[in-house]
Amino acid sequence: MQYPEEKLKQVLSRIFNVNLDMITGDASPDTIENWDSVRHMNLVLALEEEFDFEFTDDQVVEIISYALIKIVLKEHGIEFIQ
Amino acid sequence: MTRTIGGTSNTTPTLSEMLEVINSAELSSDASGIPVAFNFLRNFTIEGIEPFIQYHCLLSGLKPKVTFGNYDMVHQEVLDRSSHLYRSPPDIIASALYLDTYIPDGWRAGWSADKVIVSLAGLFADIAQNTDAIIAVNTFVPPFYSDFGITTVKDLSSHHNEVLRLNQLIREHVLSSPARFVLADWERFVRLVGANESMDYRFWYMSKAPFKKGFLDLYARELVKVARALKGKSKKCLILDCDNTLWGGVIGEERLQGIKLDRHTYPGNIFYEFQKSIQRLHERGVLIAICSKNNEQDVWEVLEGHPDCLLKREHLSAWRVNWSDKASNIRSLAAELNLGLDSFVFVDDSPVECGLIGEMLPEVTVLQVPEKLFTYPQLLNRDGLFDTLTLSSEDRQRSQMYRNEANRKSAQAKFETLDQYLASLSLSITVHYLKDEEVARVAQLTQKTNQFNLTTRRYSEAKIAALNSDPDWAILSLSVRDKFGESGLTGVLIAHRQGATGIVDSLLMSCRILGRNIEKAFVREAFAIMERQWRVKAWRAEFVPTQKNQQAADFWPTIGFQEIDCHDGHIVYELPLALPNLEPITYIAIEE
Repeated sequence: MQYPEEKLKQVLSRIFNVNLDMITGDASPDTIENWDSVRHMNLVLALEEEFDFEFTDDQVVEIISYALIKIVLKEHGIEFIQ
Repeated sequence: MTRTIGGTSNTTPTLSEMLEVINSAELSSDASGIPVAFNFLRNFTIEGIEPFIQYHCLLSGLKPKVTFGNYDMVHQEVLDRSSHLYRSPPDIIASALYLDTYIPDGWRAGWSADKVIVSLAGLFADIAQNTDAIIAVNTFVPPFYSDFGITTVKDLSSHHNEVLRLNQLIREHVLSSPARFVLADWERFVRLVGANESMDYRFWYMSKAPFKKGFLDLYARELVKVARALKGKSKKCLILDCDNTLWGGVIGEERLQGIKLDRHTYPGNIFYEFQKSIQRLHERGVLIAICSKNNEQDVWEVLEGHPDCLLKREHLSAWRVNWSDKASNIRSLAAELNLGLDSFVFVDDSPVECGLIGEMLPEVTVLQVPEKLFTYPQLLNRDGLFDTLTLSSEDRQRSQMYRNEANRKSAQAKFETLDQYLASLSLSITVHYLKDEEVARVAQLTQKTNQFNLTTRRYSEAKIAALNSDPDWAILSLSVRDKFGESGLTGVLIAHRQGATGIVDSLLMSCRILGRNIEKAFVREAFAIMERQWRVKAWRAEFVPTQKNQQAADFWPTIGFQEIDCHDGHIVYELPLALPNLEPITYIAIEE
C-alpha cells in the first residue's frame, strides 16, 4: 500500500502534539520532548490503526525514530510518497 | 448510522483523529467548558485512557484534567496527606485496580474473596473519608480460560468462581454507600466488547498496560457520564416526534390499525421496545414531551386507544402537535417547562427535522432514529444522557409535579391580577435546618439547578453532609405546598457566619416554583431562623453570573440588599439591617 508521507507525519505530530515541521527525518525521542514511553505506546497503536497492520513484538521497541518507522513499515508493504 | 448532534457520539474515531480534536481544543483560546478533574489511583499502566476521557469530555462541554497516581502506590497515596491526591483534590477518583497486581499470589489456589473485600473496603473507606470526590471503583475481569479445565465450576473455590464472588461483593459495597461510590463494571465492559477488543496482552507484558481501545473507550465513557451528572450536564426532558418515531408509519394515512406498533411482529416490536425505554426514563423522573407535525386528535387516538402504545397522555409533561416549525415549538416547550435548551434530547426520524434543530438550536441533543432500526431500542440508554448520580424520591415524582404546574397555569387564566391568583393557591412553605435524609436531594439540587442559582456552587453529598455538621455553617431547606399538591424539597440556602455577619454562600430554587414570590418568603424565613441561632447583625450575599442565571441577577437588590463591590459581573451585596427590611408575603403561609 502507498500513502502520502503527509499522513505519516500527521500521525506523529498528533501523537506528540508538536507542529508538523518538527517531524523531520531525524525526529526521535532526542528531538521530541513528548516522545515518552506512554506516547510511544500510543504511537504504536495509532500507526497500526491508521495503516492497518500489526508490528512484530521486536518492532514495537525498535521504532524509535522517524527513519526507523519508515523502514519497519516498508517491511509490512507500507510505503510513502512525497 | 445514528446521527447525533450536540452531545455524544456512538462511534469513536481513531486515536489519531481524537488527538487532533483534543490538541486543537487545547490551542483554541476560548477554552470553554466546565472544568472537571479526574484522578486515577492505580496499580497498572492506565495512561492510555487519557485521550478517551478528554475526547468524550470535550463532546459533553466539559474541560477535563486527568492525573495519575504513582504505579501501585494506591494505599500509600490515600494515607499520605501530602500526596498528589490532597494537593489538588479531584472531582472524580477512579480506583483502578488490576487483580494480578493486587493479589500477586491469586493464581495459586485458595485465595478468598472475603479477605480481599476486607482490604478493598478499607481502602474505599479511607478514600471516602479523606476526600469529597465521587469514587468510581472497578470490578475485576474474570479469567477467560478455566484453571481446572472442565471441573472449574464444580470447585467453588476455583480462581474463576472467587473472582465472580469478589465482583458481587464489590457491587454490594457500592450499593451500601450510593452517595459516594459508582461502579465501573469492568466485567460488564469485557462482556460488551469481548476479550479480543478488551485485552492487550502485548502491552500487558511489555508495559503493564492490559487494556485495548474497546475497553478503554467504554471505561472512559462511563467515567464521563459520572462527570456529566456531577457537573449539572444531565438531560432532563425527552422530546419525541410521533410518526416513524413512536410507531412505524403515518397515523394520518394508515390510521390506528395500519401503524406498526406491536409486541410480537417486526417492525412494530422495535417501536414497542423503544417505548419501553421511554417508560423507564419516565419512571426515573425524566420529563417526556411530544413535538410532532400531526393532527392533535390523531395523536391522542394512538396514545389513548392503541392497545400496544405504552406512552399515555398522562406521561407527557407538555406537547406541541401542530404544523409550525419544530425549532419554534421546542423553544416554546423550553419556556413552558422552564428548562434551558441544553436540558433537552430530541428524537425524530426525519433527517431534515434533525438537521434543522441541530442548526437552529445547537444546545439541544438531537438523536435520529437509526437506519438500522434494530439498534433503536438502545438509543436512549446507551450514552447515559439522562443519568444522575443518585435517584431521589423527588426524581420519581417529578413528572406528577410538572403536571400540577400545568394545572396551576390554567387556573391562572381565570384571575384579574397576579396577586389574586397567588392568593387563591393556598401557598405554604416549610423552612428548616437540613435533615440527614435530605442531604442527597440537596446535593443533587446544587448539581442540577442552573437558572435560579445565585452562585452556582456545585456540592457533592459528602460536602453537604460536612457543612451541615459544621456549627459555623447552616443549610436551610425549603418545601412548598399549594392546593394542587406538594412540590417537595425545591429550595436551598447555604450560609456561614463570620463574626456578626452572616454570609450567604448559595441560594437556589428549582425553576418550577418560581414566579410566586416564594423566593422572598424563603429568604425571609431562613434569615429569621438563622438570626435566632447566630445573632448576626448584617447579611452579605453574592451574585455570580453564568450563562443561565440572568433571571436571578436582580434578586438581592429587590429584597433590600445594597451593592458594595462588583468585578466581571460578580457582585457582592450587603444588607446592613437584618430582618425588618423584608416585608412578609401575606399570601404565603409559613408552616412549622
